[in-house]
Amino acid sequence: MSRGIVRSIMLVISVCTLLWWTGCSNQKSPQGSGSGEVVELTYWPAPNPQEMQLADTLVRRWNRTHPGIQVRMQSIPVSQSTEEVLLAAIAGKTTPDVCSNIWPGALHEYTRAGGLIALDQFSDFDSIALARTPHDLLEPFRSENGRFYQIPWKTNPVMMFYNVRMFEEVGITKAPRTYSEFFAAAKKLTRDLDGDGQTDVWAGERDIRPIWWQRLFDFYPFYIAASGGKTLFKAGEPDFNDEDAKSVFMFFQECYMENYFPHTYFQGGDPFLLEKKATHFAGPWEVATLHSLAPHIRFDVAPLPVPDRHTGPVYTYGDYKNIGVFGTTKHPHEAWEFVKYLMLAEHDLLLLTITNQVPVRGDLLTNHLFSEYFRQNPKMVRFAEQAISTRGVDAAPDLKEILDAISQVYESCAVYGKVTPAEAVDGAFRRTQMIVKWNK
Amino acid sequence: MTSLWKFDSPRHRQSKTGYWFVLPYAVFFGGFVAYPLIFSFVLLFHRWNVVTPMEWIGLKNFERLFSDPLFFKAIINTLKFLLIHIPLQMVVALGLAVLLNSKLKCRGFFRAVFFLPVVVSGVVVTILWQQLYAFDSGLLNRMLSAVGIGRVPWLIDPDMAMLSIALMATWKNVGIYIILFLVGLQDVPRELYESASIDGATRARQFFRITLPMLRPTFVVVVVLSTIGGFSLFVEPYVLTGGGPMESTLSAVLYIYNQAFYFNHMGYAATLGFVFALIILGVVLLQRKVIETEPTT
Repeated sequence: MSRGIVRSIMLVISVCTLLWWTGCSNQKSPQGSGSGEVVELTYWPAPNPQEMQLADTLVRRWNRTHPGIQVRMQSIPVSQSTEEVLLAAIAGKTTPDVCSNIWPGALHEYTRAGGLIALDQFSDFDSIALARTPHDLLEPFRSENGRFYQIPWKTNPVMMFYNVRMFEEVGITKAPRTYSEFFAAAKKLTRDLDGDGQTDVWAGERDIRPIWWQRLFDFYPFYIAASGGKTLFKAGEPDFNDEDAKSVFMFFQECYMENYFPHTYFQGGDPFLLEKKATHFAGPWEVATLHSLAPHIRFDVAPLPVPDRHTGPVYTYGDYKNIGVFGTTKHPHEAWEFVKYLMLAEHDLLLLTITNQVPVRGDLLTNHLFSEYFRQNPKMVRFAEQAISTRGVDAAPDLKEILDAISQVYESCAVYGKVTPAEAVDGAFRRTQMIVKWNK
Repeated sequence: MTSLWKFDSPRHRQSKTGYWFVLPYAVFFGGFVAYPLIFSFVLLFHRWNVVTPMEWIGLKNFERLFSDPLFFKAIINTLKFLLIHIPLQMVVALGLAVLLNSKLKCRGFFRAVFFLPVVVSGVVVTILWQQLYAFDSGLLNRMLSAVGIGRVPWLIDPDMAMLSIALMATWKNVGIYIILFLVGLQDVPRELYESASIDGATRARQFFRITLPMLRPTFVVVVVLSTIGGFSLFVEPYVLTGGGPMESTLSAVLYIYNQAFYFNHMGYAATLGFVFALIILGVVLLQRKVIETEPTT
């Protein structure tokens, strides 16, 4: 072999050795928790300012009282969605120990990737979970294999906000409860104020773009409400090809056809804050937004309108965000201790106070710890009452694509009126069946 | 044995040096062409969302594809785009090329101006057109309103959106085809026009009887390039409409992109890509056959 080749091979070997040595020297040695060393945990809360403030307060308190287990709080890296970030982190094995922004709709992906540990492996899981959350609300979060990879933390029931002044102006004193009542109110509320032939205020408005998660604030909560608490799946199979789904599409189709909702995408601000629409479907976070950005608006909150034939309680979508412990953690027991700490009653009070989001607790309206908060925030009582009649999303694979399919038919049926409600439901249902079949 | 065949002979060393020179391309080809191609082929039979391990699913991706109406809708949308875009592009490019081939003041300036959109980033151009096409505040609609014509729903009407995209794509790409036609026009012998003039042929007759037949090879190039470019329609609908309204501008490549990077269905996206490549191959073969069987004049 020529001297040149030998020299080249030696050079390559030297470089590889150097890279290997430097790479290994940067690896942290695993920290034991029982040898007096300080255990370090990483915690990712949701990246909004209120939850960051809550997390900061809780972590500071924890670190003061737990010198042996120090928690580093870091907001979820900014991206289009938390789910994308967490999936990327699972792929790159850069997940935190604990995250409190787990959307149940993405759980199937996380568990299939082996990203989360089962929390019911801890002996006190049942007692902790059931002491806080009623059995009926806890059970839907059990995975297909019977394990709990998440523990419900907070819920944001989607309800109808309405502008009291605008309602009073047209002589309506009560929030509409049924579709007929809504249409009767909408007819009066949609007005041309300056007489130029153009509508200036609408009864309501929804984002007309076919974005999958937008359906979590119109079609999906309305379907849960119309069906008395049904979700899209039953025993792992799509189960929404029914009259309730058709009635929801019919409702939104009429809203657009009669121009109660504008066919445009509002740019330059929230039309409810600008008093350009009289109703708005949102969760309790909107209360704080309205208080801080539009304190002059007199508003109230009511359950979502339901079909005229509806009887019984009005359910809605709960927009749950849960807590999970990731498989990359080297300290699962310490992480579980931190999870339990996050869910203490006094911290649930902080969750309410700082973020205006509802803890998934059964005793919100009976525990005296929260009574002062609800006395000061009467609007939040509506959400606490609604919280027990909420549903999450199904732990189905490809829920994002299923909601995208619903978004596409929502656009063609409701916004453009090009297909009938029956065709819309049938189209979305058949596509969902195809997606589910492919995933089996 | 002579030194010629020895391992470290100068000639042998020289020939091996050649391999070192080839190595960078071999690495590039292996990493960026051969490996992705082989990996895509493997993906055809797997379900893989990048995060979870790959799962063998046999022909399920193909089964889904043939029962997926959205894929066929995307193909039809792409063909609709081609039907509008290719004739429009050829007429506009040829018309402008004829103009720019005549004796014109500032001819060089106009040639540069028409070519400018070709070199500007597609995303930048599309964002610019998004502003122009905006229904409420777009420049086009404000101008139309000012002259008494109502606002046009350029991008929000399902029947109009693909046409708007084709118009924009023509504006963006026409420069390159003007150049091709200019080259073709300058290759037409002057004597043909001179003898036609002596015989009393009008300018229009000269155009249809001399210019157009002589430009046939250029037309072939333009059709093939436009077809390939049209099939890869992506940036315009991605930025302008996201495939809407009512999936009317969902192109095949945009649908493949959505399946791969929006829903993380890498295996299914690879299958869509594979079938789409077969469709393009079929169209190109058909074009070749048509062109080759056309009589030459």
